[in-house]
Amino acid sequence: MERFDVAIVGGGTAGFSALQQLSNLGKQAILIEAGKTPGSKNVSGGILYSKTPKNGRVYNVEDVFGQEFVTQAPVERLITKYILHATSNDKVFSIDLTPAHEYQSNFAYSVLLTKLIPWFAKQAGENAERQGGGIVSGVHVRGVSWNGDKTIVETDELEPFEVKAIIAADGVNSELAELSKARPKFTPEELYQGVKVVVKLPEEILQERFNIKPNEGAAHLFAGDVTLDHIGGGFLYTNRDTLSLGAVYHYDSLMENPVEPYVLVDRLLKNPLISEFVKDEVAIKEDIDKSLATQEQLRARFAVSKLLKNWGDLRDQYYSRLGRARLVENGRYKSEEEIKARLDSIRNELVGRYNTKFVNDYVELEYSAKLVPDGKRCRMKKPYRKNILFVGDAAGRGIFVGPRIEGLNVGIDDAVRAANSISRSLDRNNFAEEYMGEFYTKSIEDSPYTRDMKEIDKDYLKLFLDAAKAVPVDIVKARYGIIFKLMSSGMLRGLAVGFANILGYDRLLPMVETRETYVQVPIELAEKLGSHTASTYSCTIPTIAQRIAKLRYNDDTLSHIRILDPKSEFMRKMVVLCPTKCYSIEQEEVMLQHEGCIECGSCAKETDWKHPRGEKGIEFRYG
Amino acid sequence: MAASTTLPDPRTIMPVRENSTNSANESEGSYRHLYVVVEHDDSNLIPVTLEMLGEARRLMDIFNARYSSTEKVVAVVLGVNIKKLCEELVYYGADAVICVENPNLRYPINLIDTKVISQVARDKVCASKVSPEYSEEFKKPRYMFFSADNVGRHLSSTVLAELESGLASDINKLVIEDLEIKHEHKTKGQLARYEKTLEMYRPDFSGFLWTTILCLDNRNPAIQREYHPQACSIIPGVFAPLQRDPARTGIIVDFSPELDQADKAVKVLNRQITKSPVDFDSHKAVISFGRGIKDSPEDNIKLIVELANELNAEIGVSLPISKRPYSVREPVSSLYMNSDRVIGTSGRKVAPAVYVAIGVSGAMQHIAGMKESGFVIAINADANSPIKDECDIFIRGRMEDVLPVLIEELKKQKQVMEVHK
Amino acid sequence: MEIAELMASPLNLAVIVKLEPDFSEGSVSYNSDGTLNRAETKSILGPHSAIASAAAFYAKVKYGAVISVATMGPPIADSALQQAQLISDADSLHLYSDRIFSGADTLATAEVLKTGIKKMEGTGEMDIVFSGHRASDGETGQTGPQTAWKLGYTFLGNVICYDVDIEKRIVTAKRLITLQGTPDVIEEIEAPLPVFITVDPSYRSVFNTVSLRLASVKYQKEAEQRAQNYKNYLKIFNAQQLEVDPKFVGLPGSPTIVYKVERIPKARASRRAEVIDGSDQQQLRRVAEKIHEIVGRVVNQ
Repeated sequence: MERFDVAIVGGGTAGFSALQQLSNLGKQAILIEAGKTPGSKNVSGGILYSKTPKNGRVYNVEDVFGQEFVTQAPVERLITKYILHATSNDKVFSIDLTPAHEYQSNFAYSVLLTKLIPWFAKQAGENAERQGGGIVSGVHVRGVSWNGDKTIVETDELEPFEVKAIIAADGVNSELAELSKARPKFTPEELYQGVKVVVKLPEEILQERFNIKPNEGAAHLFAGDVTLDHIGGGFLYTNRDTLSLGAVYHYDSLMENPVEPYVLVDRLLKNPLISEFVKDEVAIKEDIDKSLATQEQLRARFAVSKLLKNWGDLRDQYYSRLGRARLVENGRYKSEEEIKARLDSIRNELVGRYNTKFVNDYVELEYSAKLVPDGKRCRMKKPYRKNILFVGDAAGRGIFVGPRIEGLNVGIDDAVRAANSISRSLDRNNFAEEYMGEFYTKSIEDSPYTRDMKEIDKDYLKLFLDAAKAVPVDIVKARYGIIFKLMSSGMLRGLAVGFANILGYDRLLPMVETRETYVQVPIELAEKLGSHTASTYSCTIPTIAQRIAKLRYNDDTLSHIRILDPKSEFMRKMVVLCPTKCYSIEQEEVMLQHEGCIECGSCAKETDWKHPRGEKGIEFRYG
Repeated sequence: MAASTTLPDPRTIMPVRENSTNSANESEGSYRHLYVVVEHDDSNLIPVTLEMLGEARRLMDIFNARYSSTEKVVAVVLGVNIKKLCEELVYYGADAVICVENPNLRYPINLIDTKVISQVARDKVCASKVSPEYSEEFKKPRYMFFSADNVGRHLSSTVLAELESGLASDINKLVIEDLEIKHEHKTKGQLARYEKTLEMYRPDFSGFLWTTILCLDNRNPAIQREYHPQACSIIPGVFAPLQRDPARTGIIVDFSPELDQADKAVKVLNRQITKSPVDFDSHKAVISFGRGIKDSPEDNIKLIVELANELNAEIGVSLPISKRPYSVREPVSSLYMNSDRVIGTSGRKVAPAVYVAIGVSGAMQHIAGMKESGFVIAINADANSPIKDECDIFIRGRMEDVLPVLIEELKKQKQVMEVHK
Repeated sequence: MEIAELMASPLNLAVIVKLEPDFSEGSVSYNSDGTLNRAETKSILGPHSAIASAAAFYAKVKYGAVISVATMGPPIADSALQQAQLISDADSLHLYSDRIFSGADTLATAEVLKTGIKKMEGTGEMDIVFSGHRASDGETGQTGPQTAWKLGYTFLGNVICYDVDIEKRIVTAKRLITLQGTPDVIEEIEAPLPVFITVDPSYRSVFNTVSLRLASVKYQKEAEQRAQNYKNYLKIFNAQQLEVDPKFVGLPGSPTIVYKVERIPKARASRRAEVIDGSDQQQLRRVAEKIHEIVGRVVNQ
């Protein structure tokens, strides 16, 4: 049997950070990833932060991957604006939260994981190879067994192999957590469900629209009527030449008041402010004349497809400074004017010859979904089991405090701590729980991120309240009463926060994370103080079937989900809450009827839920 | 590799119909008969063999009438326990069968099969037994047919490499003609008459075009060469077999190949059937069902099976069905609700003469797998389901109601047809 | 370790590939008569050639094989070699390019490839030659077997996986045999080297240990670097350098010619459904008649 020192299960930001850190420490580690290539199954909101807390330290992405991360990594844009919009119909009231966003922050980039993860993989992979390790993708870990002092990893694809320790970085639906009985599956009250669409928008049009410089970006959050009465909100982040538009809601509130996840995204798209944000010039293919001979119809179809592809590609490059320069440099065009002329001529051919129409609409590239653990509620108190250490989402660790949503950076911090703990154990050849697991637990407890999952940071709160200064007291006073009074007074705030922390998040959350906070107050704000917005068009929103049809799957002939009780209340709700409509009710029983599954795990609580086998299932192009 | 389908340069090929000066000089007598290489699965004939024999029979009947000759359709069969097979081949149109019974020929192995068939093709003794009157100068067959499947394609290639002649693959139409040809290389630009030339039509990859391939001797003195047999591989399911006729007689010739150790180099260690024997290709009709069975899955499947029996149809399913969304008893579920039967992008592509889609909504993935079908009938309760745009007849109704009536009507039709016969 | 030990006696492999039009929608262009517009359509390494390259890569990872990739075609066909190198981590690339090769049918093409591969053997005995199942632009998988026969190598078609016993110089392979009207069969065979393998579209390399996976990553990276500088690995041969007899290649060496090209008649119009009420027995009778008519017609044709 082959032997390796450490196996890391799961190639997300946390997994690759662990691989990089262990390799930096001169340890042999292999990373096992189920996706065909690293990054192909990863989804995030997503913004990646780097932070310097006042007290204690966290390990940041650049600590692990070096300054090359800042100079080379394929991140999208440096987020320099952070704005919260309260919405009601066409009225919007906006609050600039940029100071709160910048709090303790070195930088924050918008990211698309299918682009970024391969870069992490390349760095960490090369580093790991030097230590006799590396990356094994397309392999699904099925089991771990302990035989005396031997730990054996079993996969669907490879011969079993032996390791000394394991880092479980296998995400919110961690199979390692389940099979090692390290923790029960997360419950709806511990989770948020996020759905996202990636929208195409040429680079310079995007910059002009959001009034940002090249490489800089904006984040916009939405609350109010767009939530359709749920706890949570919408987000829109600018990427280089795409937008990430999504909705993230407390799963418990969705269970109470079920609505199809994509309807929540659709609702955002119907808001006039957002419609204008995503607007682009879109070509509408004219239906091909069915009276023509079949081959003529086909020829026309192929011709239009090709012209449209050329037009789209060229336009993307034309609206990008680098793209234009590249086209001129490599001699394809003499000048920028010539590119424009070519672009116009293709457009004219499409309009003149094939009756193509160009209209205002938006272009959706990819639909995705993900569960997000709410660290305040579900972080593992002891994130280990035997010689397995859990990190990031797998350990239920993420920060959700008001508009502050962080997960990637937490996973990186965890990964470094786990890697350091294992390295220490390798040196002593001691992988006992009390030596390794407890050491790791202590290290995690020391992390400022853990503190943020346990208590309120009054300085952060102040920035937040300062930003909301314009909000008239009467709107919120009636609802939050004494708490608000304490909080809004500088003198009393410290006392109030101290008091709140004594109460603890457990008791505080039900008072703050309410419909009032996310729905009613924003609606009132927008109604009273908001300005009217208008859109010149309305988005042609694809149906869920069309969204699924656009996704790329490598269908697994074995179903990776099995319903346990087809009559349960939970499963009946899945008919609505599954983001890709995998469930239906037939004769009072819930049936798994179509495998458009994007592996979010929304149904995992009451199903026998595994990730598909290696290389199988969804392959994201943006993530 | 250059494409064999490179379109002809009009300057090099000029079929000319008027009188020609340079007339035929075919080596008459050296090349005789049409050899059909038989495919069978452990002594069970597969349909394309009968289809090839049928087409060979039709072509050679016309040929012999037109050229007042008695050239034969010669079936070549290799294997173990194939004596009975030889008679069957005669019943289906062969004038003669060359039977190569040898324990090394049990399974198709390209190396040894190529050796044996090439020996057969060149064997004068065999040829004289087939037809004494043409035995004099026999060198090789005039024409040769192989099946265009994943055994025959390779076999035809290697046999023709050995016989050093031309091969056209994936043919769906054949004509024998006397042609006047003017070709830069073949005839050095002169007009020449090529008699008894096999025009081999093959559909282009685009599906729009028919390319006619000829295998011609080089008459150009600079590169003079004879290219025989004129050979092709034939697409299964295209040509119609003859009615089996036990009254037909023919000659059966045994042939013992000369084999050395090297010819037996390939050993078969193991053979395993991999898939359930779902066969869409050799049925004229395919019936598929989808989630529309949901109201009473088991009874509906029974009806569908009955309809399939009536039409001698193979049964397919849409993708969701293969995931067994309904609780249906074994063995019905494992027989019908499995991935081997899936029609569509993640399953098989089918193109039967008649396709009946029952309770299939018509998702794009499914349509991609059946759109080449000849005539499409959909049965669906939902008049707005997308399958409506992809069918020729849309029967609006619940399958529970429609199928029993349709089956009854089909039975009546069958009786009518039998009475006619 | 097993792999390192085997490095001492590597296998010599060749892969023959083909540059083909990219038929994917958005890339392909057709003329108004329905023929492929070759000038407007991008060319890529044929998908089956890519699978053949992947099959060779398997032996590189598992046995440290030395790989040569060859193609016959115009000078731009070197891009097919580059793409094949990216997949196979080839050690050398061979392009057979000469105006007199053009218009060759499969037999004449096989002659060029055979001569090329024989020339490669100057560097050592060739053990396995791979080719794709078929080309997507019309050539229907004859070139591979014909080249095999001309080389005198044992031909193994429809291979879905293989392994080599280096010491005994034997290859074992599984082949997928699909014949009309019979269930699919997977046949396990063995044959002495040298062999010529055409890979089935369902071919997959199975690297079933962590070490093999890690090695495959290493070779993939090497392949990326090599393919970036593929010209350093490229050798181009014309007819003279290849020492082929002009009588046996190109148009003069082709037994077959394309005599004519015509449009296939009876292009089916797009479907327009006739809607029938399922409760109307008369109508269903008509459907039954129609079905019998069609099924009967097909049989009696």
